[in-house]
Amino acid sequence: MTKTKVNKSVAAINDRIKRGDAVVVTAEEMVEIVRERGEVEAAKEVDVVATGTFGAMCSSGAWLNFGHADPPIKMQRVWLNDVEAYSGVAAVDAYIGATQLSETRGFEYGGGHVIEDLVRGQEIEVRAIAYGTDCYPRKELETIVTKDDLNQAVLCNPRSAYQRYVAATNSRDETIYTYMGTLLPNYGNVTYSGSGALSPLHNDPNYETIGVGTRIFLGGAQGYIFWEGTQHAPTKAMGTIMTIGNLKEMDARYIRGATIEGYGTSLYVGLGIPIPIINERVAKTTGISDEEIKIDLTDYGVPRRERPILKEVTYAELKSGRVEVMGKEVPVSPLSSLKQAREIADILKKWIEDKRFFLAQTVEGLSTDQVFKPIKQITAAPVAKDLMTREVVTAKPSDSITSAARIFSKRNFDHLPIVDEKGKLVGIVTSWDIAVAVGTGKRKLSDILTSKVIVASENESIDAVARKLETHRISGVPVLGTRGELRGILTSEDLSKLIGRRRK
Amino acid sequence: MTKKVLLKYSAEKAGEPILASIIKETGTLLNILHAKFSAEGGEILLAIDAPDVKVNRVIELFEQNGIETKELKRAIQLDEEKCFDCGACISLCPTGALRLTDDYSIELDEDKCIYCEICVPSCPVRALKVSKF
Repeated sequence: MTKTKVNKSVAAINDRIKRGDAVVVTAEEMVEIVRERGEVEAAKEVDVVATGTFGAMCSSGAWLNFGHADPPIKMQRVWLNDVEAYSGVAAVDAYIGATQLSETRGFEYGGGHVIEDLVRGQEIEVRAIAYGTDCYPRKELETIVTKDDLNQAVLCNPRSAYQRYVAATNSRDETIYTYMGTLLPNYGNVTYSGSGALSPLHNDPNYETIGVGTRIFLGGAQGYIFWEGTQHAPTKAMGTIMTIGNLKEMDARYIRGATIEGYGTSLYVGLGIPIPIINERVAKTTGISDEEIKIDLTDYGVPRRERPILKEVTYAELKSGRVEVMGKEVPVSPLSSLKQAREIADILKKWIEDKRFFLAQTVEGLSTDQVFKPIKQITAAPVAKDLMTREVVTAKPSDSITSAARIFSKRNFDHLPIVDEKGKLVGIVTSWDIAVAVGTGKRKLSDILTSKVIVASENESIDAVARKLETHRISGVPVLGTRGELRGILTSEDLSKLIGRRRK
Repeated sequence: MTKKVLLKYSAEKAGEPILASIIKETGTLLNILHAKFSAEGGEILLAIDAPDVKVNRVIELFEQNGIETKELKRAIQLDEEKCFDCGACISLCPTGALRLTDDYSIELDEDKCIYCEICVPSCPVRALKVSKF
């Protein structure tokens, strides 16, 4: 790294905090300071920049130790308020994960809610079973505990505080329920997460000051970064961190269990990182504004790993409450609380000013070149064109109902796609439609066809097509090419062949 | 201020054009937010944006026609203790009854609410409730 004009050590900044003359500002305040005075002057003047975020962090959980029962049990499986915790570690340790669902209440209650209830000091029903051993003979245990009864209750999150995250919208003609919230049909709204200029990792994206050992605000208590987070992708400005902190000291205002409609449960985590301004380079990165942070507006209507990107948007546009999508202005929902992100940065600032929080020198840096790879799949997931029937009997809108009836009587199928002269799908007629049309005096297929047809595209995954058949309660879909031309038909019968194939 | 009035129809009254005749008679614009009828009768939820005198006249006429009326004071509730201002609800609200203020707090304008209820399940902490009428 190049030489800098300003050079301050973390120890020197801590001395200033101890003396009570450290200058601490929030990341939002820093934007103005850097803009007005430049990064060198800002670096001389400011000692610490406080950041904050309060968002759903699904990859969260807590390690709990219950202590031993008498006679002792080696918990093979354990449930907290009917939410199963992972107990494949020594006898009375368990990890309660935020997205694990209650076995009795489903989406309404999950691991995230158990964690919030623990923080609130509420009573938690514990149920455990075991196979019994000579040293741990007990096979069943039921009890009630609060956090005070536990030896350790440690929030331990594999992935926290994404540097930034994509914004979501939905191209389909139906509402979808995603981890990015409820997305209205036909690009009806946009959702996003992250606090933009206040984002902890975006204020030091080169990890000059953030690393293993960094002390942070975590859930209202002081916690630590102990590794890079899972899916850490610093080269794509999507860095993450692993965080740890004492759950017993946390505040339920900053640790909230949540239900994401149609998706599952999660945990909202309040997190803030103090950035020591050790030189002008760091001052410059903490001066980043919402206008400068761009993210991809992504179509969640396409249920594939690589979702189509519609355009780039800035956090400034998103925070304004409306963005333009496909030529129309649509409303925007932040999914993380910008109000509480600000509050967290303010609290962190106050803690430092009050000499209650000191900066920690990192013991290791975080990777700056780690790449987030997809899972290695040894078999390719089939797509619609792999299973569809290609030879499809079709008819034209001008064809008579009688001719269609003849086709149905000769062939063993129920769906007759109706195409125009260019081969483009214009509707569908089922054998049921023909039966209903008898005696109505209608003659042409154009009189009875259904023009709003649920369709699949050639490269749509079989799992997505199966979900369509299930949610719309239909038995088949026409498969279309990129220009809307009919390429085949895929029925539940075709799908059942797949099961036979998988079992071979 | 917009008043919301719930009308309860008995089965016998359901076939009569009472609403239309009251609009005609008073010249007051009555906006139907919600309506439901079955063999046992039904109910209509009205929004009336008019001076109190006119609203009272409308209510009086419904009563005279044998329709039970009830003014709804509070039908949608935002539990401010639970709400942490994430904003998941605001882009779903079709009328702007839920919005973010300049300091990123959620604000609910009950007058604008049409009880579509799409916001209710979208709230991650169940802070929104619509009281059933």
